[in-house]
Amino acid sequence: MAITYQGVKTLTAQLYDWSLRRIPEDTKEGLRRARQTETHPGAQRVLEIMLGSALRAEQTDRFVCSDSGVPVFQVGIGTNAKWEGDIKAAIVDGFDELVETIKPPLLKHVTNPLTNERGYKGKDMPLVSWDMISGADYIEFACQPKALGSGRWAAAETFSFPSLADIEAYVMKVVMQAGSQHCPPVIIGVGIGGSFDVAAKIASKATYRPIGSTNPEPVLAAMEERLLRAVNATGFGPMGTGGDTTALAVHVDYASGHGYTPVAICFNCWINRRTRARLHADGSVERME
Amino acid sequence: MNFSEYRRVRMPLSREDARSLRAGDMVLLDGEIVITAGLPTHHRILACMEKGEAPPIELQNGSLLHLGSYSQDAADGGLEILYMNPTTSTRFNPLMPRLIRHYGLTSVGGKGGLDAACRAAMQEVGCVYFSFLGGGAPLHSAAIKAVKQVAWNDLVAHYRLVRVAVEGLGPVTVGIDAHGNSLFESIAADATARMPAILDQLARDRAGA
Repeated sequence: MAITYQGVKTLTAQLYDWSLRRIPEDTKEGLRRARQTETHPGAQRVLEIMLGSALRAEQTDRFVCSDSGVPVFQVGIGTNAKWEGDIKAAIVDGFDELVETIKPPLLKHVTNPLTNERGYKGKDMPLVSWDMISGADYIEFACQPKALGSGRWAAAETFSFPSLADIEAYVMKVVMQAGSQHCPPVIIGVGIGGSFDVAAKIASKATYRPIGSTNPEPVLAAMEERLLRAVNATGFGPMGTGGDTTALAVHVDYASGHGYTPVAICFNCWINRRTRARLHADGSVERME
Repeated sequence: MNFSEYRRVRMPLSREDARSLRAGDMVLLDGEIVITAGLPTHHRILACMEKGEAPPIELQNGSLLHLGSYSQDAADGGLEILYMNPTTSTRFNPLMPRLIRHYGLTSVGGKGGLDAACRAAMQEVGCVYFSFLGGGAPLHSAAIKAVKQVAWNDLVAHYRLVRVAVEGLGPVTVGIDAHGNSLFESIAADATARMPAILDQLARDRAGA
């Protein structure tokens, strides 16, 4: 048995659809914890309204945000997985079909960057990055729609032999550039090293890690803790109107490189849309989140 | 959620109500608002201004909010909005001072705030900025009572200019008031002032780690 074109088409469309209608459990828990520790009265209320919006989206099967963003997938192919058909085309075809059938309909967010024209289709859309998973016999799909609100503020800069102080100062510089703009409290992904493209990919992947999880690398675990405190000391707060809760998490990962060291930083807004599932050869779907 | 504690204000805001609000206040909105999430829409309004023509929806002393919506034909022949949510206001910064002054807007809004030039125009005419919850589509959409008017249908749905009747829209935060106070500017200034101390603390944490 093999993973099929149809299976991939159906699942990837569902993952995008599901991601629009509820926020992940870890994110709700993060918001609840923030509500307990937040000292700014206005921010406490904004956090409560956020949780109320998330709950109402679930109860009424509504989109949490009218900006459904564009579909972004990370695909991990098991090295022992078998498939048939053009699974790359399946992701495109699944999105095309979803656009025709989803209720309520999506707004046109797919943008041609050369003309700023917007529609439902475009070059290289959905945006997909492909990885391999050693020893696995399944294909894992994670979906994280990205929209202007938080996507706009991602940044990268390349340093030569930076110290941790240099890297952390750059993270704070990018946090200041984003300011009140990215629908905080955000999840911040930081990618250090590798090459330009690898650092960006690491930063993006880091945002998928559950809030509250501890980085297995002690150096990075300590960095994440102190950066989270530093970001929350800025005072931008929920929706940028003041408070102690500007980020719910800072997640850092790295790759070895040459000595020229790109540092990439990206943000997910507070709704932190994210779904993930594995597709097995027998056609079964293992929904992870 | 119980929102009964919040003050309710009638939209479009009277100049008096606009001046009665202070940055940081949280309120619920009742009445009529005009919304769009489109840059091309703003350019068209400016073109109307320059040609001395009236825009297709009255804006004088009104509200112009950066909210995007999906509207479609309803069974009764009217229009219905399926969902509505704010968009980032700062990308309209260069255009807003002229619009605020020309139409004497009493309220603008969206998310993320507007810049100092907008704040100055708002203080001049008596206008406030409402900060809406991003990711608030389920709440904002539930406050819609009727779609009164839709203009510029050739644009994608969220760019159209739409006049909507709402009840209990929000709570929204007064991000910029009509007296020259902007939460966005003061918070950014505080964060900038605090940054040397934040970087010192990071250095101490690294040394202790």
